[in-house]
Amino acid sequence: MLQDEKYQEQIQRIFAKYPDKRSAVMPLLYLAQEAYGWLPEEALDEVAELCDIDPTQVKSIAGFYTMYRETPKGKYWLQVCTDLPCALRGADQFYEELKAYLEVEEGGTTEDGLFTVEHVMCLAACDRAPMLQCNFHYMENLDMDKMRAWIEERRAEAREKEQKS
Amino acid sequence: MSEVTIYIDGQEYRVPANTNLVDVAKFYADNDIPVFCYHPKMAPVGMCRMCLVKMGSVEKNRETGEVVTDENGNPKIRWFPKLQTACTQTVYDGLAIITNSEEVQVARDDIIEFILTSHPLDCPICDKGGECPLQNLTMRHGPGQSVFYYEDKMHLDKHVPLGELIYLDRERCIQCARCTRFCDELVGDDVLAFHERGRRLQIVTISDPPFDTKFSGNTTDICPVGALTTADFRFGARPWELKEVPSLDPYGPEGANISLSTRLDRDAGGRIVIKRVMPRQNEYVNEIWISDKTRFGHHHTRSDERLTKPLIRQNGQLAEASWEEAYQVITDRLRAAKSLGVIAGPNQSNEDLWELKQLASHVENHHLGVFPATMSGGDIVNTVGVGVGTNFLDLKKGDVIVVVASDLEEEAPIWYLRTKVARDRGVKLVLLNARPTKLSKYAKYNLTYAYGDAVSAINSLISAVIGAGKINDEILSRVDGYDELAKSVKKPAYTNFTEAAEAIGDAQNMIVLAGSEGLTLAQQRELMQACANLLIVTGHVGRPNNGLIPVWHGANIQGAYDLGFTAEATEAIYQESLDVVLVAGCNPVGEVVEAEALQNANFVVVTSLFETETTAIADVVLPRQSFAERDGTFTSGERRVQRFYTAQGVIGESLPDWRIFAEIHYRLGGPKPKLSAGAVMAEINKAVPSYAEMRYKKLAEMPRQFPDVGGEDLYYGGTAYQNRGGIGQQTPTVAEDPEARLSVRPVEAMTPKFDGLVVIPTTLLYDRGVLFRRSTLMHQRIPAPHIVINPEDAEAQGITDGDTVAIVVEGHRYEVQVKIDKTLPRGAVLMPRRLSNRPDPSVPTVLESIEKIVQPVPVTEG
Amino acid sequence: MENILLRNRTIPEIGTFETYLEHGGWEAFKKAFSMSPDEVIQEVLNSNLRGRGGAGFSTGRKWSFIPKDAERKYVVVNADESEPGTFKDRELLEFNAQQVIEGAMIAAYAIQATAVYIYFRGEFWDIAHNFEQEIAKAREANLIGQNILGGDWSCEFYTHLGAGAYICGEESAMLNSLQGLLGQPRVKPPFPVMKGGGLYYEPTVVNNVETLANVPWIIVNGADAYRAIGTPESPGPKIFCLSGHIAKAGNYEIPLGTTFRELLYDLAGGPQHEGKGFKALLPSGASGPVIPLTEDMMDTPMTYESLVELGSVLGSASFIVMEEGTDMVWAAYKMAQFFKHESCGKCTPCREGTYWLNQLMTRIISGQGTMRDLEILENAATQMQGKSLCALGEFATSPILGTLKHYRAEFEAYVNGEKQKELPASKTVAVAH
Repeated sequence: MLQDEKYQEQIQRIFAKYPDKRSAVMPLLYLAQEAYGWLPEEALDEVAELCDIDPTQVKSIAGFYTMYRETPKGKYWLQVCTDLPCALRGADQFYEELKAYLEVEEGGTTEDGLFTVEHVMCLAACDRAPMLQCNFHYMENLDMDKMRAWIEERRAEAREKEQKS
Repeated sequence: MSEVTIYIDGQEYRVPANTNLVDVAKFYADNDIPVFCYHPKMAPVGMCRMCLVKMGSVEKNRETGEVVTDENGNPKIRWFPKLQTACTQTVYDGLAIITNSEEVQVARDDIIEFILTSHPLDCPICDKGGECPLQNLTMRHGPGQSVFYYEDKMHLDKHVPLGELIYLDRERCIQCARCTRFCDELVGDDVLAFHERGRRLQIVTISDPPFDTKFSGNTTDICPVGALTTADFRFGARPWELKEVPSLDPYGPEGANISLSTRLDRDAGGRIVIKRVMPRQNEYVNEIWISDKTRFGHHHTRSDERLTKPLIRQNGQLAEASWEEAYQVITDRLRAAKSLGVIAGPNQSNEDLWELKQLASHVENHHLGVFPATMSGGDIVNTVGVGVGTNFLDLKKGDVIVVVASDLEEEAPIWYLRTKVARDRGVKLVLLNARPTKLSKYAKYNLTYAYGDAVSAINSLISAVIGAGKINDEILSRVDGYDELAKSVKKPAYTNFTEAAEAIGDAQNMIVLAGSEGLTLAQQRELMQACANLLIVTGHVGRPNNGLIPVWHGANIQGAYDLGFTAEATEAIYQESLDVVLVAGCNPVGEVVEAEALQNANFVVVTSLFETETTAIADVVLPRQSFAERDGTFTSGERRVQRFYTAQGVIGESLPDWRIFAEIHYRLGGPKPKLSAGAVMAEINKAVPSYAEMRYKKLAEMPRQFPDVGGEDLYYGGTAYQNRGGIGQQTPTVAEDPEARLSVRPVEAMTPKFDGLVVIPTTLLYDRGVLFRRSTLMHQRIPAPHIVINPEDAEAQGITDGDTVAIVVEGHRYEVQVKIDKTLPRGAVLMPRRLSNRPDPSVPTVLESIEKIVQPVPVTEG
Repeated sequence: MENILLRNRTIPEIGTFETYLEHGGWEAFKKAFSMSPDEVIQEVLNSNLRGRGGAGFSTGRKWSFIPKDAERKYVVVNADESEPGTFKDRELLEFNAQQVIEGAMIAAYAIQATAVYIYFRGEFWDIAHNFEQEIAKAREANLIGQNILGGDWSCEFYTHLGAGAYICGEESAMLNSLQGLLGQPRVKPPFPVMKGGGLYYEPTVVNNVETLANVPWIIVNGADAYRAIGTPESPGPKIFCLSGHIAKAGNYEIPLGTTFRELLYDLAGGPQHEGKGFKALLPSGASGPVIPLTEDMMDTPMTYESLVELGSVLGSASFIVMEEGTDMVWAAYKMAQFFKHESCGKCTPCREGTYWLNQLMTRIISGQGTMRDLEILENAATQMQGKSLCALGEFATSPILGTLKHYRAEFEAYVNGEKQKELPASKTVAVAH
């Protein structure tokens, strides 16, 4: 997939940043993740080929960090911060309620494949708790009312899209 | 080497500067600072924290530099407030450590306790049990009782195959990263890594094939727990039941020192057999590393297919006979022999070769050949080979290693590893080859020549050295032929070698490793001479860490040359119709097409471990002993004569080759056979000047080695690294005699001109050779018969990657798979040797035809 | 006092290149450029600016360690802000990007760096992409790139995104991560400023975002003016991050030496909930020991030194505030979870220790703990101290030992069966034999 024409410019720009190929492994993993939606083994192989390292090394990097998806996730990957500063402002309860509303367990994905929910460590937005990260974008100063509305909007969108197709 | 003063537990020691504190404490102070992650062969990482010590520096008077002392006259020491890791410390003058204080003891206990809280205590079923550093250190440092009074260990997979050779027990892993660092940093095969983080860190591989390195077994040795075990030895025996017998790698030219772990074995009918092969420390040769071929290629020693009795051809069939009957038939025939050709196999010991030579001398018209006859120039090696005392480890920044016409990883993996590691230390690697090899990425200079043109390449290098004014004038006073040589290289074929030539000229030390890929025997001999020319005119001969190393295809080809056997004689034996042929421990008929001519001999005698294509044409077949059942010596490519010892019981009625030849010779009127291999060597000592000092006792001498990684120490706690068999002795070269004259001689490039595609025979580490193929464990690593071809050539032939094709070379047809390699030069078709059960072309040969085989559709029966 | 760092509070668009220029942006760099690199280092040295990442090391001294003759040298900006309760760099990066870029380029000039890399924590995805555009604008103006301002010196400025690992805030782990290696700390020495220790093993200055944001002001106004702010040992403005039970959570830029009362009450409006008092404070996110907030310490000036006297550290000045009634055992448990999750696993004491602290805290808080567990907890934390490869292992012990010291009775209530918390099934641990 990373061989596709549309990624070439980005790949070149990534390599231009660093004096060695190996340094490109993290940005390329992001790119592969964008291309595949997650990081299946063929994505690791492609990154390895580009960086001139063994796929094992790429897997190692993918496994060390929490933002690489080694398993497929829902369309919206909701990572709720439940660290102490957020928890002092109700994040634990928010997280429990969110899971209950979506009817998923920790790390689970809703049946419609739309939402994956998990909790993460501090996201450096403690002053805007409760908050979460949705596919690398922050949603802040949340409560369940806001969340429910947002979730239903996404569901409605998905239904609409399905009907169209 | 400069020395520094350090203080360990209040005692003063003089130790070499710039050495590692843990190594030094062990060697000079007999103080085993406990370690798990530290390994003397790898850069320290300070991960396990087991080596914490109190550390400080002696106070010195700023003006006088004198050590300041306290009222008792002891040096005053400024201590670090926190404990420091010893493994990350290089010794310096005035360094002081305390290893025996309560603080240090408590710290060690604490670390051990932490490690044990997540380590399963399944020692009773663990292969490492009995030689386990964690077990040993727990005995020494572990608290009697853990404060963590409830069990909360992680339960993880215990039988994770990292490929078919190595198994991982995830629970036992203590995350020391020795295995990953060995593969990644030392070998350069980055095929193992950690996955996840924190306490979930675990070793993974997703390379293809899994754990793709030729050195994987070494990780099981350096693993400080039983997390990595070999499929070969797993659950095979307890270490304390094993008897370690010093031995040598029977395959390669490096002379790797090994230890055969043997045991009386019920499964082997109550005989003593090899349970595993371990490296044996020899800092000059293989340090503590061996290839997977050496480690896992021992099964031929106890194969059920071994020949157990002499066989005599009667009515066209080979039938079992007694030794006396066999000797009778042979001696009768030899008495009348008009001519005799002997072909000595690659692991005939020096003693075998000596007795073979004595026997052959009975027939006046005789030829002493060696097999495989892929390369020549053992005599040149004896002139300009590496100096006595050579050690790859001594090569430093700015020194040069030249590798020419060899795929070193496949042909001599230990030299590959040591070359690669030397390069990491700053040694400049100059690679001359017709194609890229795995070593290419490490080379400072990759000099490419056309296949067959290796001599021109070396000549061009000499030309560039002359051009750069880097000829060693000092040595010229003892060199003959320099002017002619200089004249002969005036018009170099390759003009872009200047930088490499300057590096060579500036190098303090230089080693040249010369191989044979893509060369005929005659070309190869010229290459050896060309290399000698280069070494001589740059002054890189006659001293340690300088000179020529031949990449022989066998464990004792150098010994064969030293005792008068040559590859040229082998070619003569193939070409001339000889009356009697004696093949000792090899299978020429099955391996090279030229050897088909041996069928024309009137009488053929073969010593062999197994039935082969060669025994199939024999009149008498004699069961020889493998390297494990007998003793003897091999001479490595570095001309190190080393002993191997008797490890296991005799299979059937087999005998060592030297004994067989001596018995035959005796019956022809020769002297009474010697009683031991040692006695044969005593004869060699007397008769062969360069072997005068190679007495068994001397070869067994065992000086202490630094760093000390053998024995019952706390680095490994194992027993198998310990070298009780001696480090051997190098034969001197002519160049080391300062009085000796040295000759250089112009060599003509004899580059053949081929039209079309040329089949280039290559050597792979894993093949279907007679011995190695008995190790079924390795079968997945032996490639199918194949050719490697450039994509453009493939396209022109209408073939693609993965096709099965039929090729015809010199009238022989081979069915092979196609592998495409875009790095291969056009026109060359690589054909690795010994992959099929058919003899291969042994020299570059024109490809007559190539056609794709359309796979017949299998017909379903019924 | 006017904001030196959070200038976005008064000039909303200051983060864009155009607005930044209108308000004197890049004048500092141009001034530095007219000075010799050594003079720039000297000025920063004189200012006594101390690193704002947590360790408080002199910035000028760090720069001065870079060998002059090194062929390749780097500046790495540490924007891997991951300490729980810390979000000061985020505001600077989001709203005052140009000042950070300018500060980094002054550092680069001072050491004559080959290139600058800014390492963002991966979660700063949007911020990083915006930041790249701001870099591009400065490059167009020839303030970055080839032959800067027409001189001989060339220096590129690149962004790099982490991917979710607290440990990469540790400078050597960050360098490994940038190099595409596992984000685990290196053995020191060699330190990053030394040959062999930095990015690609070349001498490297690693500075925190907030630290660099101070630099332009110092160059323009001089070291003396800078030292006039704050205290002599801890000069300059400092951003305090207030989170948890505080009325007005957020960043506060104040001079070092301001008292607790001024910050917590006068600026941040006191406790979050009316009628409640303060109970305790974690002054350096998860990494410093807890300080009980009592009336008699409220007038203590906050400096690097005074926090040490209070038995804690100022660190990154990320104050997690807790009101009366906060369950301190639960707070410690949260911290233990954090460190267990973030331990990189490289060294034994941290890998095993953070795991055990979490297990023990989980046992205790779920009502399975005994007095013996309390003992082990203390023991395990002590056992970790002074042995780890990097500071994370040390940090992990602080919240536990600190909380035990001040709130032992609350722990005892749990192990005596007086209290317990329902935990999700996935969070429970094995029971004693």
